[in-house]
Amino acid sequence: MKQLLNQKPIILLISALLLGALFILPLVVTSPALMQIFILVILYAYFTSTWNFVGGFAGVLPLGHSAFIGIGAYTSTVLFQTFGVSPWLGMIVGGLLAAMMGVIIGLPTLKLRGAYFALATIAVGEGVRVLVENVKQVGPLMINGPSGISIKLTESSFGAFQFDSKLPYYYIILVMLLIVLLLTYFMMNSKIGYYLAAGGEEPEAAEALGIKVSRYRLIAMAISCFLAGLGGTFYAQLMLYIYPKSILGLDLSFEIAFIALIGGRGTILGPVLGALLLRPVSELTRIYFGSMLPGLHLVIFGLILIVVMRYYPKGLVEPVKILLNKLFINRLGKQGGPDGTGSAGKAD
Amino acid sequence: MLGIIEAMINGILMGSIYGLTAVGLTLIFGVMKVINFAHGSILMVGMFAAYWFVILTGWNPYFAIPVVVPLLFWFGYSMQSVIIKPIFEAEKDVREPITVIIVTTGIWYVLDNLALMIFGAEFRVAKTSVTGKVFEFYEMYFLLPKVIGAGITLVCGIYLYWFLKHSKMGKAIRATSLDREAASLMGIKQAKIYNVAFGLGSACCGMAACVLIPFYYVYPTVGVPFDIKAFIIVVLGGLGSIPGAILGGIIVGIIENVGAQFMAATWTELLLYGVFLFVLLVKPSGLFGQKHDY
Amino acid sequence: MRMFKPFVVPVVALAMLAGSFGAVQAAPDTVKIGNIIPLSGPSASVGIQGKQARQMAVDEINSAGGIKALGGAKLELLFADSKGDPTVGVTEAERMINSEKVHLLTGCWNSAVTYPATQVAERYGIPFIVPVSVRDTITERGFKNVFRIAAKDGWWAKDQFVFLDDMKKEFNVDVKKVAFVYENGDWGVGFAEKWAELAKERGYEVVLNEPYPSTASDLTPVVIKLKRAKPDVVFMTSNAADAILLTNTMAEMKVNVKAIISSGGGHADPSFLAAAGQNAEYLFDIVEWEADLNRPGLKETNDKYKQLYGHNLNGESVDAYAAMYVIKEALEQAGSTEPEALRKTLSEIQVCGGKVGLLAYDCIDFDESGQNKNASLVIVQTRTKGKEMDRITVWPKNVRRAGYTPVFPQPEK
Repeated sequence: MKQLLNQKPIILLISALLLGALFILPLVVTSPALMQIFILVILYAYFTSTWNFVGGFAGVLPLGHSAFIGIGAYTSTVLFQTFGVSPWLGMIVGGLLAAMMGVIIGLPTLKLRGAYFALATIAVGEGVRVLVENVKQVGPLMINGPSGISIKLTESSFGAFQFDSKLPYYYIILVMLLIVLLLTYFMMNSKIGYYLAAGGEEPEAAEALGIKVSRYRLIAMAISCFLAGLGGTFYAQLMLYIYPKSILGLDLSFEIAFIALIGGRGTILGPVLGALLLRPVSELTRIYFGSMLPGLHLVIFGLILIVVMRYYPKGLVEPVKILLNKLFINRLGKQGGPDGTGSAGKAD
Repeated sequence: MLGIIEAMINGILMGSIYGLTAVGLTLIFGVMKVINFAHGSILMVGMFAAYWFVILTGWNPYFAIPVVVPLLFWFGYSMQSVIIKPIFEAEKDVREPITVIIVTTGIWYVLDNLALMIFGAEFRVAKTSVTGKVFEFYEMYFLLPKVIGAGITLVCGIYLYWFLKHSKMGKAIRATSLDREAASLMGIKQAKIYNVAFGLGSACCGMAACVLIPFYYVYPTVGVPFDIKAFIIVVLGGLGSIPGAILGGIIVGIIENVGAQFMAATWTELLLYGVFLFVLLVKPSGLFGQKHDY
Repeated sequence: MRMFKPFVVPVVALAMLAGSFGAVQAAPDTVKIGNIIPLSGPSASVGIQGKQARQMAVDEINSAGGIKALGGAKLELLFADSKGDPTVGVTEAERMINSEKVHLLTGCWNSAVTYPATQVAERYGIPFIVPVSVRDTITERGFKNVFRIAAKDGWWAKDQFVFLDDMKKEFNVDVKKVAFVYENGDWGVGFAEKWAELAKERGYEVVLNEPYPSTASDLTPVVIKLKRAKPDVVFMTSNAADAILLTNTMAEMKVNVKAIISSGGGHADPSFLAAAGQNAEYLFDIVEWEADLNRPGLKETNDKYKQLYGHNLNGESVDAYAAMYVIKEALEQAGSTEPEALRKTLSEIQVCGGKVGLLAYDCIDFDESGQNKNASLVIVQTRTKGKEMDRITVWPKNVRRAGYTPVFPQPEK
């Protein structure tokens, strides 16, 4: 708690500056293609931050997050295409559905340890994908199996959640990200957050102290999945085309987990940092190397993964924070209060 | 009816080969408590090695075994000591080192795509002396390389089981997998055991690779479908259990083959995942795994 | 500003990203063509062939003096790897149009990628030429900027059945039971739906309708089922990997049918023939084009390609090659690179003969929906030729290779 107070002004300052920059970004960037990339970066930061609720705070490694994103996306899309329901409404329904699924799945699986839980999430993720791929139609609802669903082009309007320009998309996802980050902050500093942190890796110890770890994990799961579902709808409305391998795929789940792990899971800024770093790397290597040597960009990506994990296993947020501490304490001496953070930047 | 029997037997044959690939994984998983996502890629490396051996020498692919298996042992051993060990050290006190999982995934991406860059995307098939030969039995046909493969699996399984139970190194490995602190207190060097375990696991992949080459094609991402199956099998059979891995493989093979007779092949995937989840939730230690391990 | 040191890396990364989009305006005498194709991932081998064909065409056009109506302007090819992923396809389409400022787009082979990518082009009014993606709906959305050279998948399926009718007549063989075995992606499923309709119309009994996952590690169960179903004719739609597995397994398990009719794609991939070898004997495959058609200029172009890249042209590469010439013609006739002018010219143009003479039909002519109305298909039969496998055109009868009689039904194994 002390550390939070000490770091608060610094973090707030940096965050405020970053935020400001992000908000005025569209004034500087005019190319829609570049905007698209920024939107995707923020979207991935969003997805990863929702993942963080379970993967970061509950101390487990979920590798099937795309299932919930996909549920959100398919729900709102199918409702829109079949009944003309506004995607905004569909988004909420999708989120709720995803949350329900999350709880149903979480009930039996959250009891499992580490590697087993990870495998179970993979199985669930893949199971959902195969299921959707095999189903063409459920009653009046067209699901289209492997062909995916293409969303009808409508007039650019808020109600229909479709816009000609990239700007509305950008601001919507930025706001969504901020909401999630705020939620994360509140969660971290609430009772639930503490219980989950205690539960972390040694749930038996926490249970012995009377903390109902499993209940709180389920709550975290529900929140995580609900938010993921919302993100799914956004994705669907951005791309205007969804199909199982992309939105329900293992690749998406893995990428989200990686971003969180490299950025630093269990922290607020970790996922954002991770997305800021990894997505451009992924895009850049594909743009510059993709057409020359096929596969080179993935080799680079893999190498980055290995190197970062080797030297910064807790993610890059740690070294960044340490550096910030160092710089600020050295510069503004008085800032460093009672010595929880005392001497030059070893702190944390 | 005959169709079901044919499917069942084919399931057992192919399943044993799946089991062979899973044996390596269960060793690694059981000893190090780590999901090795690079497992499929190691299999791929083995398959390319076996493929080139056959193409360059024109010999019987089973002669590749004495070459490919030690090669992969060395490959796995080095990979563990050079790349993975340092990360393990950093997470010594953590019960389930998650960063190692990420690193193995990074290794997977690197290996698969290096293979893509070097060998290109085409599918290669090695024509060997046993390719395409079939056993006929009452109107049912079974592929000779598969039968041989199943046989080799059995032999390997028995050997490994004996090795783990009776040899000094084997006992050390089992001790480490049960309780690594206690084992190291007894003077067993944890790092060395891990290296050996990884090497052994990779060597099993090498064996599986030689068995697969006569009837399967090789290409950079060939490891992926086998990888996921291997995990399912390892859980089914129980972490760290060799007979469990082989039996688990056979069960998966049977589900895949017999299941497909009653539903479209695309649904059998779902069936497999369903069975997998069922086992995870009802009896996570699998058929032969140790109880407290999960 | 030292406090921003940790942010240097991400900022530099983003700056590089921004820089790469820096509006490098095309030199006034170059026409930029953006090509979004799979250069990595499961469709990489086809994507790379498409790239090679385009390069060969553009090199020819440029060394022949470029676009005369634009003062000798050269064509410039830009490639983007779609990885077979629609999201990437969409992002790349946007990048090509907005940052690279291409004048035209081509792509994307995988129908799942072409579908949304063309939607992007339509939104921005940039003409998009689709050499080969077959999903019907690509040209059925009322779009004005999408032009497809190959036939729609509905036509492919229909031709497969018409071919079967002709074979039945020519060889006096009866066919009652059919089986469908197909990969469960968008492409395979699309074919299967058409097949089911066509089979019903013609009164065939469908004894097996079997989708399978393209990345399966063992397809023996499917083959066992197929064998037990005892069909007369099997229709298949597969990617290269599964085509190899299925064909080899079917041969090993001695599956005896009167004919196997496949749908191009994996079965037309050179690595399929290399890997399946003799097991592919007698297989019938439907494609847009084959190297032995008796068409003007075909041999020279094919030989040149073979010398450059080591294997024959095939459906995808030929259509990609032709696409470049269609673009050249359109530019010459429009005399401008302005999108609306190009679009209009493309919708009215007829590209015949010359370098495009090697196609199986006479002229490329797009109808109001953007579909090339003359696109036709041929059926080939695979036979052993020395150490390699040869694909021999057998249908329509008027393009059948001289001196060859198809084998129908195929002999028992």
